[in-house]
Amino acid sequence: MTAERKAENITAVRMVINWLGLGLFALLGVAAVVPLFLIIGDVYVKGIDAINRLGGLWHFLTGLPPTPYEESGGIGPMLVGTLYMTVLGALLGIAVGFPLGVYIGEMRREKFANVARAGVNVLVEFPTIVIGLFVYAVMSLAKEDLNLYLLDPLSRTISPVGGWITQFIGPLDGFNAYAGAAALSIIMIPYVALITASAYASIEQPLREAAYATGGREFNALFVVLRKAVSRAVLTAALLGTAKIAGETAPLLFTAFGNFYYAPFTGPTAAVPLWVWYAAQTPYEVQIASAYGAAAVLLTIILTIFIIARIRG
Amino acid sequence: MLGFLLVVLLIPYLIAAYGLLFVKLRWGLRLFGAFIVATIGLLTVMFLVEAYPIIARDGVAVFLQTGWDPVRESYGVLQALTGTVLTSAVAMALAMPMALGVAVTINEILPARWRGVFGSLVDLTATMPTVIYGLWGLFVLGPTLQSLVNTLARDTMTSPYTLFTAGVLLAIMITPYAAAVIREGYALVPKPVEEAIYAVGATRFEAALIKLRYVRNYILGGFFLALGRAMGETVAVAMVVGGNFVRFTTNIFESGITISSLIALQFPNAASYQYMVPALFAGALLLTLFGLAINAVAIYIIQRGQI
Amino acid sequence: MSPTQNPKFLAIIAAVAIVAVVAIALLAMPPGGSPQPTTPPPASQPTATPTPTPTTTPATTPTATTSPSQPTTTPTAINSPTPTTTSVPSRLSGALTGGGSTFVAPQMFTWSKTFYQVTGGKIQVNYQSIGSGAGAAQFLEKKLDFGASDVPMPRDKYEQIAGRFVQFPVVIGSIVMTYNVPEIAYQKTGKYLNLTAEVIALIYMGEIKQWCDPRIKALNPGLADKLPCKDIVAAHRSDGSGTTAAFTLYLTRAYQPWNQTVGWGYTVKWPADEKAKGTGAKGNEGVAQAVLQTPYSIGYIEFAYWAKNKDKYDQVGGVAFVRNDNDGKYYFPTTENVAMGAAAGLERYTRRYGSKPAPEADWNPVSIEFSNPPRGYPIMSFVYVFLWKDYAAEGYGDAATKAALLKEFFKWVLTEGQKQGNVVEGYIPLPPEVAKIGLEALNLVKP
Repeated sequence: MTAERKAENITAVRMVINWLGLGLFALLGVAAVVPLFLIIGDVYVKGIDAINRLGGLWHFLTGLPPTPYEESGGIGPMLVGTLYMTVLGALLGIAVGFPLGVYIGEMRREKFANVARAGVNVLVEFPTIVIGLFVYAVMSLAKEDLNLYLLDPLSRTISPVGGWITQFIGPLDGFNAYAGAAALSIIMIPYVALITASAYASIEQPLREAAYATGGREFNALFVVLRKAVSRAVLTAALLGTAKIAGETAPLLFTAFGNFYYAPFTGPTAAVPLWVWYAAQTPYEVQIASAYGAAAVLLTIILTIFIIARIRG
Repeated sequence: MLGFLLVVLLIPYLIAAYGLLFVKLRWGLRLFGAFIVATIGLLTVMFLVEAYPIIARDGVAVFLQTGWDPVRESYGVLQALTGTVLTSAVAMALAMPMALGVAVTINEILPARWRGVFGSLVDLTATMPTVIYGLWGLFVLGPTLQSLVNTLARDTMTSPYTLFTAGVLLAIMITPYAAAVIREGYALVPKPVEEAIYAVGATRFEAALIKLRYVRNYILGGFFLALGRAMGETVAVAMVVGGNFVRFTTNIFESGITISSLIALQFPNAASYQYMVPALFAGALLLTLFGLAINAVAIYIIQRGQI
Repeated sequence: MSPTQNPKFLAIIAAVAIVAVVAIALLAMPPGGSPQPTTPPPASQPTATPTPTPTTTPATTPTATTSPSQPTTTPTAINSPTPTTTSVPSRLSGALTGGGSTFVAPQMFTWSKTFYQVTGGKIQVNYQSIGSGAGAAQFLEKKLDFGASDVPMPRDKYEQIAGRFVQFPVVIGSIVMTYNVPEIAYQKTGKYLNLTAEVIALIYMGEIKQWCDPRIKALNPGLADKLPCKDIVAAHRSDGSGTTAAFTLYLTRAYQPWNQTVGWGYTVKWPADEKAKGTGAKGNEGVAQAVLQTPYSIGYIEFAYWAKNKDKYDQVGGVAFVRNDNDGKYYFPTTENVAMGAAAGLERYTRRYGSKPAPEADWNPVSIEFSNPPRGYPIMSFVYVFLWKDYAAEGYGDAATKAALLKEFFKWVLTEGQKQGNVVEGYIPLPPEVAKIGLEALNLVKP
């Protein structure tokens, strides 16, 4: 009788603990994503209001940023700069990251592949500001020689093509879009590499053998036949990596530097995150508003890429 | 000249790597592996070279002394180091329970079709631009935390921008990184083990606890990976940490500085001084070494415990 | 070498290349489209510039002062045609990048935007407010086309590059002391605080720790009973800053012990941070924001940062009257009071040193004499611009265009830019004889 009661009590206590415990976990889990909604809500509420006040969506997307004494303005140059650097950075990141991922995913038995894998693991965690600093240091060393031996002659050769080409190719300034893109690509490489690697690693052995059998050369087996099996994962990786680098600020601080105008990419280049970082810390309503508007635009870009990645992946 | 070699060799190098992919695949791929290893090596060496002047002058003292006094060319990164440690500690203390909560919620509590959605939300938290976190921290989180803390204990937080604010913001940002690793481990708990747990009559909560014990290596690994993130984060932290790079403080409710935000704030003007650039590169070097060490530990732990 | 594999791979490469080209072409539209309508063949190429203005007017080149750098070689045709167009906004087009002083940023943005409109969007002067220290540093690193700073090139750096660069003032600005003390907010009391150099210095030295300190009360009998016993949060800059330099220079000049304990420079070691509650913020922007958001704080910012947000400051605190210790009067930072101070400072300099300095000279004595003037509002500063004398020799790409654009922009700044509508509230236009120094400096920049 008493033993039974005790057992019942224990079961009851256990059930209570069970619900309490699970409730706690659920609470903690929800706590991790609640800020996400708060942030998205905050950015869109204030951002959309700001965009309307600053002259409407089209003006905001194409106009020049407001000075403290203006009432309207936009983020046109920033948007162009971000798109340019992100696309370049992503292309370079995929171009290097994909083969690298194949290497560390497929050649796992090689000692050096493990070293490379460790390298990639380190790089994916690297403080992004440090990468910016690194590119800055390299750029400082390389710029003068690069201009003297390569870009001056090159720009003279291609100048007949038309004035527009000077927007892209020409002697580099100390800060330029290409340094920014390089820093972004260094951040992108490990993302792509790691996901590619795990996708290749998860290919089942029979499929791999079949691929090697039909593909003939190793290149065909890996890049043509097996690519089909992993293309989804790699595409997702590429998109998520792109979303990540589109929003990076720290690596651009000392590389792209920022600009308030549509200017050649060989010089300082604007970027949306840089403008948010700068304008949010000013005391001027109009610039803070434009920071919120810019954040809303940036968030839209990133959400779009993210959702595409989720649907495709 | 170094720069010239670097850039002029880099492009042909990559082209060669691509070319080799056709001719001799393995060697082509190895070149890509070498590229990444070389990048990290070069990065470390470059920071060592750049930081050398101040290390030669002050020795290890640069990491152990406080104070940032450019007028007297005396630099110490200890206050930044402490700030990094404190913000990371606050962040980890808050983030780890949340990460565990995420893993359990996804695997034990949510019905199957909601798991993907919830997982996506967590992943999105990791993808959000850090500057947007900073913006939110600047205008919403900082003031909210200040009034919250001050209602609990009067006058503890004199400014909305403190090490504590930065820590809380970091916690939100790094939770998904820890959660991802824990989830990965959680999913790998073998079916027989799971069945055994329920067979002895465990409740779902008890089962969750047992499974978490089972994947403790992953939890530890996730801890270190998230820690690495927390220590390196720059922009969001710099926006809310208060930017006090002078005073040595261990009070998390005061404004402080972290290594990475010190670099972001002081690097642009560093070249006006003789030893500030080396001092900041010393900070970057320290951050790099921390990153390497933390990753080594995390990778070791995860590999040792691979189920 | 089986024939099937290469075509496939080439197809992939081709696809990637096409995507890239399309993307780049799309991206090319905005920058190519709006600022540069295709009508005139863009004259940004150095080869294109020589032809348009054949009125070579060699009179501009041999200004008497340039004896050492007299170009006897006259290399190539690029040098001869200095665009002497003053009335016509010129056929030049291109982009410049400068950076530095956050102190002058609101003014510089406005100049830049107006100039952009005046030239029909052809000349874009990108100014990034990264701090004066950074402006000087990145200029020295050749990462910026021009640097702007609230103090002249520091003496040690000046000695390293003397003769290779010019510096000249472009505008005068003042620093105001803003505070956030809700109990005595202007909106409640209708009064602003009175402060002296000594009290300001003691606050930043961490000696005066609370708002109810007798030394503050003594200056403010009207507010004495309302001053709360709360710790003062002394807000200062976390980045290298000319505002800090000008501010600490003032304290150095006006309060001896400051000089012995702290000194002056782009970044100083604030005693308040160790002994009391100091807090750092990035840029004038950041300090202005920090004071608004932090109760019981005080901060030093450029006039314009306060003027634009005057109402907000009045709600939580206000801006202080500062006593000029030389004439013992309290001055409110109005344009007239600052202008009075500037005139008095310049007068003192001329009395002591005779003539005004040359663009190649060390301007530090000017800054020192200018600070804490005999009368008028005492905390103010020139804003200086640094230019290289020979951009080609310093290793800049496309140097001829750069030099021409810089001359064009600063010529406009020193003439049109000083006129009523173009000077933002809170800045004081240069006296004409000082603006002339800048125009002389521009002649020293090698075209």
